Amino acid sequence: MRSLILSALAAMGLPLAGQAAEGTRIQVTGEIIDTWCYYSGVMGSPDAVVGSAHHTCALWCSAGGIPVGLLAEDGTVYMVLKVGEDDQTAGGDTTLKLAAHTVEADGMLYERDGLNYLVVSDVVSDLDITNQNHDDYGNVPPFSIPDPNK
Amino acid sequence: MIRAALTALALVAGMPAASQSPFPVDIGGPYTLLDQHGQVRTQADPEGKHQLLFFGYANCLNICSAALPLMAQVVDELAADGIDVTPVMITVAPDQDQVDTMGAPLAEIHPDFIGLTGKEDTLQAAYDAFNVEVEALFEDPEYGWIYSHGSFVHLLDGEGELLTLLPPILDVTQATKIAKGYITPQG
Repeated sequence: MRSLILSALAAMGLPLAGQAAEGTRIQVTGEIIDTWCYYSGVMGSPDAVVGSAHHTCALWCSAGGIPVGLLAEDGTVYMVLKVGEDDQTAGGDTTLKLAAHTVEADGMLYERDGLNYLVVSDVVSDLDITNQNHDDYGNVPPFSIPDPNK
Repeated sequence: MIRAALTALALVAGMPAASQSPFPVDIGGPYTLLDQHGQVRTQADPEGKHQLLFFGYANCLNICSAALPLMAQVVDELAADGIDVTPVMITVAPDQDQVDTMGAPLAEIHPDFIGLTGKEDTLQAAYDAFNVEVEALFEDPEYGWIYSHGSFVHLLDGEGELLTLLPPILDVTQATKIAKGYITPQG
């Protein structure tokens, strides 16, 4: 699955080396995802590493500095480079608060190296966690919630 | 505040905040640190090689355990095509990564790995230049402090200028292909 996703990314086109940043303003709706678990496949299928099932792990990964993405309704993944006033790339409190949430984002799209980078200038609306898939998958992975008895 | 204002301006104009940056966020800049041999090293590679730069720590069990081996494999893939690239890690844990301690664990990942450490102010200058946030999360009784930190791999030219970012979620083939697009084979 990972190779399929990466192939799809690669198919979007290769870089024009040295190309300056030129963005396109877009508005997009989608879920703020944990890109590591989504692409690596180490924690389960793409359907299992999103939504409420994966919320806790997504918090851990976001806190750990792993880049977050925005999984749009059409399946496109945008690598979130920056959100609002957070002054760090791929980090900050905002991305932590939005983990697994569906948002409507307004920002600038930069296509580079076959990847979609999104600089979110405004989270127009935060729809909270709309993908309630924990009944289907449980907590993914189970160990992301520490056992208080250990 | 100035950075935020510049970024807002860049968003409105649709242009990068820094004309030299390939990204709309100003990433990259000078630093002066010490490597695992005690030698001073700046953002420029002494031999003018391209560089893969990551911020992490040698004993990190989280994203570094994926990103550092990814960098090593990309370096080997590029070397097979005659392209010499230096893998560099700037520590976010100077309490753990010191001149005489960080060399061995990095050498296990790749013999050419350069580890960089320094005093708080010189490291902070590097973090600021690359927009890397570092935060101590908690102290693991076995492994010591666990840190949160940015996790993009930066492809730099020999002078230390940013060419592009490599998200650590890429596989070796994809990351190598992207890097190659920016590097002219030597010889």
